[in-house]
Amino acid sequence: MAFSDTEILETLRMVELETLDVRTTTLGISLLDCADPDLESTCEKIYAKIVHHGKDLVTVADSIAADYGVPIVNKRIAVTPISLVAAASGATCLVPLARALDAAAGEVGVDFIGGFSAYVHKGFTRADEALFRSIPEALEVTQRVCSSVALGTTKAGINMDAVSEFSELVIDTAQRSASTGGLGCAKLVCFMNPVEDNPFVAGAHIGIGEPETVINVGVSGPGVVRSALERLGPDTDLLAAYETIKRTAFKITRVGELVGREAARRMNTTFGIVDVSLAPTPAVGDSIADILELIGVDKAGAPGTTAALAMLTDAVKKGGAMASSCMGGLSGAFIPVSEDQGMIDAVAAGAMSLAKLEAMTAVCSVGLDMVAVPGDTPAATLTGIIADELAIGMVNAKTTAVRIIPVPGKGPGETVEWGGLLGTAIVQDPGSFSCALLHRRGGRIPAPLQSYKN
Amino acid sequence: MPRRFITAEDIRRVGSGEIVVESQTVVTPQALDAARAVGVVLKGSNGSAFEQPAPDRGPDAARAEQSMPLMPEPEADEAGGTGVMVVVVGRNRTGVLAEITSAIAQNGGNVRDISQRSVEDYFHLVLTVGLEHAGQFKPLKETLDCLGGDQDFVARVMHERVFRYMHRV
Repeated sequence: MAFSDTEILETLRMVELETLDVRTTTLGISLLDCADPDLESTCEKIYAKIVHHGKDLVTVADSIAADYGVPIVNKRIAVTPISLVAAASGATCLVPLARALDAAAGEVGVDFIGGFSAYVHKGFTRADEALFRSIPEALEVTQRVCSSVALGTTKAGINMDAVSEFSELVIDTAQRSASTGGLGCAKLVCFMNPVEDNPFVAGAHIGIGEPETVINVGVSGPGVVRSALERLGPDTDLLAAYETIKRTAFKITRVGELVGREAARRMNTTFGIVDVSLAPTPAVGDSIADILELIGVDKAGAPGTTAALAMLTDAVKKGGAMASSCMGGLSGAFIPVSEDQGMIDAVAAGAMSLAKLEAMTAVCSVGLDMVAVPGDTPAATLTGIIADELAIGMVNAKTTAVRIIPVPGKGPGETVEWGGLLGTAIVQDPGSFSCALLHRRGGRIPAPLQSYKN
Repeated sequence: MPRRFITAEDIRRVGSGEIVVESQTVVTPQALDAARAVGVVLKGSNGSAFEQPAPDRGPDAARAEQSMPLMPEPEADEAGGTGVMVVVVGRNRTGVLAEITSAIAQNGGNVRDISQRSVEDYFHLVLTVGLEHAGQFKPLKETLDCLGGDQDFVARVMHERVFRYMHRV
């Protein structure tokens, strides 16, 4: 099978110049068999099982990167929501389990492990309650553990008691990590309609319908899409831009499919999904905002941005769906504000507001991600922001998430540097009007009419 | 199904003597320490000394390979071995092609196809190289990655499968 020079050079250009990479190879490990009436034994089993299955992950991923010449940036582990595993122990403090996860992740050499999680979309078990209470301390005393909670689904509605409690957790977590600008909250996310094979932190975990072990892959490539649109130029219509994005997404996804299959084969396990998500990094050019601007808005956040993002997300999904039969549920475009230099610039220029961001999340693949708000934002206001975001997901039957960071000691317009992949954020103003009554009422928002499809 | 784990608590409960560990049971590190501390001997199911089992990846893992949908993989009889793409960009000078092809030859590579363009002082070269077995890829890539230099040329090596997946339906 001969390839033309154009094809060969295109692939090479994507990897060498346009930062095409496999963002994460995530090994999912079911921990359901680690449940034990004794908490200490549960910790032992969790540690032993993760190390037993995960010890080859980094070596395998590195060998694939070397053999195929495609960079694999992160290796991660996702596990069963810990509240399910801990339930049998009856423990009220689950921090020891977080420490066990952290130690196991350190032993196998991954930078993050996801699954300090609970599903509470309709109510709490005793174990869910214990997990919620343990989250701030667990995130404080561990390095690599990420926590995610499901606060609602289209089928169940929104558990507003859980939303209110989550807001308090976010504030506590931020205060405990005040010295790093509230960075503990970067490891904490809440979901509407969570994806149970999510390979990306902070939401990575393995749901109850998942196999014993599974490899899930996340590919990225905003730089590749941006360059393709740049080459296309401004003189074509939107359909041509759409086609370009779709074709590029096809190629990106196929690389993920190859890596995922090969990783699963080398680890003797199952290949789950390839999630094709244009996930930006603070590196120049690796930006979703840049793509939106190339599609046709002056600055991300300007009128037209939501339409451009809707088109981008859909084109990525169609390209991905053509390339892989097993495309992950988060496929599309992420818009983490602090991790995307173009988005940071848009906030600094006054083009991007919290309200516009919320509108954009109705059509992007996840939700409000890495958004900084003032450190003194009341819990009620956080509840309102989170509930709004979850409502968008509930009614549109899509996944939405909130990863919000009340930066201690900072007010609207101030800048916070988190460094590395987490980037820089400008603190956004959530406004001065409260929703204290909504916060206090609690209860549930029941399942919407959209859920009655049977 | 054999029991999944033996924990330190299980060892302490037995207290002394010998435990026969079933073939797929994982013994936690703490249990190994506890066994050493209290003098419990762990035996494998066939009477030999205990060793941790190979990871049991679950019932789906065994079926995984068959359920993979078809992808543009090479046919078994198509050229055989492993295909590699080598792309070189740099300044043209005497002996540059010989340097690259002899490095390929030394690593057991057979040049199947070659295409070259020159623009003024510069050239780009695309080589399709066949290797008899997959193990030869890594040394070839390492050799070519080290060839050339800043003001000279750069060689990049990628596996043919990447191109198949990317450019063929």
